[in-house]
Amino acid sequence: MKVDIQSLGTFNQLAHEGAEQATQSLAQMTGIDAVVDVTKITLLNRDDVGEELAGQDFVGVQFDFEGALDGDTVLVFESDSVGPITEALVPGGADGEMAQSSVEEIGNIMMSGFIDGWADYLGTTIEHSPPEYIEATGADVLPPAPTVADQPQVFVFKSQIEWVGESLNFYIYMLPEYDTLAELMTDHAEPGGDAIPIDKLSVFNEMTTSGTEQAAENVEMMTGIPTEAEVTQISFAPIEDVPKQVGDDTYVGTVVEFTGVPSGYLLVLFDEVSAQNVAEALMPTEPDGEGLTEQHKAAIEELGNIMTSGFVDGWANVLQTSVDHTPPQLVHDIGQAIVDPLAAQVGQHQEHSFIIESEMRTDEIEFSSEIHALPDEKELRQALQELEVDRADQTDADVEQIF
Amino acid sequence: MKVYDGSQTEQESVGQPERKKVGIAEYAVTTDEAVLTTSGLGSCIGVALYDPDSNTAGLVHVMLPRHDEGEGARAKFADTGVEVLLEEMERAGAQRRSLEAKIAGGSDMLDFSENDSSIGSRNANTVRETLAANDIPILGEDIGGDYGRSLRLEAATGDLVVKSASQGTATL
Repeated sequence: MKVDIQSLGTFNQLAHEGAEQATQSLAQMTGIDAVVDVTKITLLNRDDVGEELAGQDFVGVQFDFEGALDGDTVLVFESDSVGPITEALVPGGADGEMAQSSVEEIGNIMMSGFIDGWADYLGTTIEHSPPEYIEATGADVLPPAPTVADQPQVFVFKSQIEWVGESLNFYIYMLPEYDTLAELMTDHAEPGGDAIPIDKLSVFNEMTTSGTEQAAENVEMMTGIPTEAEVTQISFAPIEDVPKQVGDDTYVGTVVEFTGVPSGYLLVLFDEVSAQNVAEALMPTEPDGEGLTEQHKAAIEELGNIMTSGFVDGWANVLQTSVDHTPPQLVHDIGQAIVDPLAAQVGQHQEHSFIIESEMRTDEIEFSSEIHALPDEKELRQALQELEVDRADQTDADVEQIF
Repeated sequence: MKVYDGSQTEQESVGQPERKKVGIAEYAVTTDEAVLTTSGLGSCIGVALYDPDSNTAGLVHVMLPRHDEGEGARAKFADTGVEVLLEEMERAGAQRRSLEAKIAGGSDMLDFSENDSSIGSRNANTVRETLAANDIPILGEDIGGDYGRSLRLEAATGDLVVKSASQGTATL
């Protein structure tokens, strides 16, 4: 299968239309005012699907669908949301079976809208099964990701819908079967367009994984805190949706511009608590003063630099090219406001963007960090075209040679 | 509340509070006393228009300077974003001659451009030019700097409340 940039754009629009339709159905039937926050297409290892849901209890509904696309889709929300949702349907609220049927009803309303939105956009029909009520913790709430021979990675379409004023979120996951997706993508690809063979995208994912591992290792060396590289994924979204991926919380971190093929921007972000904890692990003495001091910030800058170097070296190595980067610029602001100027820079030349996301965590202290990269789309495509797939095998060895 | 948004659908919402979130490259117009919010402006700009006579208020969140330099929704760009908001305000009953503007955002917090002026300041210039071309006075602005902002437009009064992580809260 080849993934054409144009068709990714089309599919993103499709997922967005579906989520919009679901939200409108919800508003019409219940008066709940909701907005679609984020829609993205993500390519990731099947074992990592739903990793971001870890530790939370969810309820929702599941459907399978068939037609122009086959697969499974779910609508889920945090268990805590059941109260307000039931209340919206049954004034005075309800428990037990009544609460469950409220969830089913909302699910049915939204997901019929979602699937109709897709079908309308494709100008075709998609049949779906009756909703099945589901209840589980973390990623278990999602249907198993489709299995494809020799293909560890899957495409997942994700939308996040926010219930305005209630700070509740609905999540729609759609996991299409490979064959029908491939067929549709081929149908929507432009002849002679900007197609990337899917095996190369997978290699790229492997590269970012090894970059993240290297960055995590560097953190561990510097702090002495065992650090694990976690999820790595490549997403594709309209440029205006890129800043939303980070959200409204305040972050501390570093930003660099990298040059080479591809060029782009790389962010290393810590939430404030993580920043403080990890910075203190680096400091030889107790910090002077409360909160995030200049000492903390200097430590974060150093750490950001080390992580960036690890990540970029891992990349350059696989691409057998050189990727340089500017000195890190320290940032401490609303997450979305940090990303927005970078998205705007990239958005001057392209309407959609690939976003490479990696995370690392440690159990020892409360610390997590995210790495986001925004590569230039054309140059990324060029880099992938020039990449021999078997080079990915050299990644591990080469990374170790460097360090 | 009547809300006119980018999807051109009219929504009747029930209950309180009347709050409408405006995302990047989106706009909203209200003729009731709703609160329009937008968050995480870095180099982006929030343009608020208010007609005190008809009590119509609108907010657009633009990302890039000029529509002819890119592709996408009109509300994504400073020039066409102001225009689309203006059109929707008029459609909702506002009079162009009584419109007032307040603008915020356009920071230079991360500027890697070596020669060109930053996107933040280019956005600000384009917003100012487009408002001037339409004879809409700017009654208040909070532009530039090296920090992000979130906005709340209170349609009851036309107040634009600007909040930032490092500078606290100000009302324009």
